[in-house]
Amino acid sequence: MKPQLMLKYSISITLVLLMCISAKAQNDSIVNDSIRYTQKYGLRIGLDLSKIIQTVIDEDYTGFEINADYRYSMNLYIAGELGTEEKTTANEFLNSTAKGSYFKAGIDYNMYKNWFGMENMIYSGFRVGASTFNQTINSYTIYTTTQDFPQTTVTDAIDFNGLSAIWAELILGIKAEVINNLYVGLNVQFKGRVTETKPDNFENIYIPGFGRTYDSGRFGIGFGYNVSYLIPLYKKGK
Amino acid sequence: MKKIIALLLLFSAFYSCEKDDICSETTPTTPKLIIRFYDISSQEETKNVTGLRVTAFDENNTEVLISNLNVVTADSINLPLRTDADLTKFVFHKEYDIDDNDTPNDTSDDIILGNPDTITITYQREDVYVSRACGFKTIFKNLTFSSEIDSDNWIINHEIINFTVDNETTAHVKIFH
Repeated sequence: MKPQLMLKYSISITLVLLMCISAKAQNDSIVNDSIRYTQKYGLRIGLDLSKIIQTVIDEDYTGFEINADYRYSMNLYIAGELGTEEKTTANEFLNSTAKGSYFKAGIDYNMYKNWFGMENMIYSGFRVGASTFNQTINSYTIYTTTQDFPQTTVTDAIDFNGLSAIWAELILGIKAEVINNLYVGLNVQFKGRVTETKPDNFENIYIPGFGRTYDSGRFGIGFGYNVSYLIPLYKKGK
Repeated sequence: MKKIIALLLLFSAFYSCEKDDICSETTPTTPKLIIRFYDISSQEETKNVTGLRVTAFDENNTEVLISNLNVVTADSINLPLRTDADLTKFVFHKEYDIDDNDTPNDTSDDIILGNPDTITITYQREDVYVSRACGFKTIFKNLTFSSEIDSDNWIINHEIINFTVDNETTAHVKIFH
């Protein structure tokens, strides 16, 4: 198993455990009284930890993302992300780098009915994402089926500037309040490209915010591990 | 909740599969030059070349044997073209044989039999993007064909049918002999 993948799994498991622990804590804290059922409303601001970790462990990747959501009603949050990514994709025949920034905007809907006093989330969300980026072909080796001549490698960099892409995302995720106002969450994003500018005699191998593209079509997938802090603005009953 | 977590784990497993990072053998990549041999006296008919051995000169001007063309009898051959230069020089050696003077262990007195003709093919190269796994292929445009005149040319005439080599479906050059 690749170290990144292991990391993904171990973070998933940790988060799941955290949810369980906090659920247990919930049980303990049930008190039979008539406290008014109020919840915190405010602006939650966070970072995508997975991008920071990947930046540290993967020399071909640099990324940073700030995310925020604003609680609009009991279950509805207005949410968005802003980030930059630089990713080098290399194989035996092609080495290219994509670099750019992106933003995503949309909503999260909490589907989880919390126990008294808890403000955890199991949510689904929708986003519209847009990215502007550049791609560079660092080098390529001409693919031939013959071994009679040595392989030809071209190392003159070719730049494609001013590329852009727009996509839609469906998100599934969880967020757990681990200590007061501090949340950790994990989410998976299913993406579908709506439009993109395709470079001439090349294609978009990686789109910042969207992630890697697939030969099979317009769909992609992404993950996030967020740590966020809630700035409580007011409390409101159910 | 358990279901959702199971789903999340399942999708992260899918994420690790990167199947389109392998260049499939069926993907058309850099095409080879297809040459067909025709009869000079009856120009509609193909004619086999007997005992043909083809070599080419690489970037160090070293003569390399073209694979699968070490003494064959055929009316059609596929030749790789150099992707690092705008020309490839070949030797088409017909009726290739080695007379070892009855001393198979001593190569110094060997006589190479047959009739070599030297061919030069020139072209302009263009690198065309294929896919993330295969990278780029080279196609060859504005083909020219010339054969060096020697005392005994077996290649009498030629005709370029396709001046652009961008696929391997039809012949590009006809050789009459």
